[in-house]
Amino acid sequence: MSVVPAQQSGGGGGSSGLYDVLELVLDRGLVIDAFVRVSLVGIEILKIDVRVVVASVDTYLRFAEACNRLDLESGPRKDPGLPDLVGKMTESGAKGKSKGALSGAAETISDAFKQAREEGDSERQTTSRPRARKTAASRRKEEQE
Amino acid sequence: MSTYVYGITAGTHPALPEGTGGVGDPPRGIRILKEGGLAAVVSDAPEGLRPKRRELLAHQNVLSEVGAGGCVLPMRFGSVAPDDSAVTGVLAERADHYEERLRALDGRVEYNIKATHVEEAVLHHVMAQNPEVRALADANRQAGGGSYEDKIRLGEMVAAAVKDKEAEDATVLERALEPGADAISVGPESTGWLANVSFLVKRESAEEFLAAVERVRGDMPHLEVRVNGPLPPYSFVEPGPAEPAGTAAGGMDVGTE
Repeated sequence: MSVVPAQQSGGGGGSSGLYDVLELVLDRGLVIDAFVRVSLVGIEILKIDVRVVVASVDTYLRFAEACNRLDLESGPRKDPGLPDLVGKMTESGAKGKSKGALSGAAETISDAFKQAREEGDSERQTTSRPRARKTAASRRKEEQE
Repeated sequence: MSTYVYGITAGTHPALPEGTGGVGDPPRGIRILKEGGLAAVVSDAPEGLRPKRRELLAHQNVLSEVGAGGCVLPMRFGSVAPDDSAVTGVLAERADHYEERLRALDGRVEYNIKATHVEEAVLHHVMAQNPEVRALADANRQAGGGSYEDKIRLGEMVAAAVKDKEAEDATVLERALEPGADAISVGPESTGWLANVSFLVKRESAEEFLAAVERVRGDMPHLEVRVNGPLPPYSFVEPGPAEPAGTAAGGMDVGTE
């Protein structure tokens, strides 16, 4: 039985999927000591820019800023965001603790939202547009209020 | 002329992509070298082959084509033998080993799963679960952002809490998907994922495995989960015990302290 396409992430795939696979091509696979391997000098081109929690002043400042923005930007927004994510969250029958925790977060700071929204309505035009990952959370808030 | 090796498969493989393009510019034609019950998928090795994106892709594309038709042991990128007879020599010498691996991996494919946090969602978790963080964030906000020291103190607390959450989520993710797989392999570290894990999955179970991934996405909406596969079993060509679940957050070790 073959229920999946032979290759979902091959040649024509998006660049993120491409990088995900190339890492395996470079780091995994059979190595035979009787063969030589081509030099991997120059492989830096494949480095991925993914945020990781590194203990550094930059990280701390970024998180501190993010926490400050969190409430200010949590009012209703019209960004398309990640609607499927939101949909899954409300559909899922087994959402359990992560949903609970998110709801908790929303409740805990909803007062701050309301305040922020009142203040924020006029500011929203000038606030720098958040990244897509922010909008998912923003929409979530929107639904829960 | 040296020989570039893509992978090793059974000589009875029904659909070897002889003649299609491999690495090099122009792409070198794929040839099949048979020895006993085994076949090596090779091409001429271009002079000065570099690990460029298009070469890596050519390697992967040849292997995914071979893998679609039957089991293949994928070589790591860039394996070059002095000539064809060196390749068939290796096949003859280690036939038992490769035949055993082909049997073990027959009908199985690799799915690589990578996950990161949706930053704002995880920050909400942290704020909700940690009154101390919440209080400090409030104080900072009321002070127009807080002093540099206050920001560092808040950021440090948040970073520690996020890190804990990453490790916790990596374990939850791995445990949720493990039952659908024959083997797991924690992926290369240091690329910044909270989880980077490959699962060896029977082809006929692929649908169930992907359904489990969807459930994880539903249950953990604060995670961004990426699936790559089916792939040739890069992470499972050599036998070895599965790594313990605790190492799933391997990428997180970078920069600790």
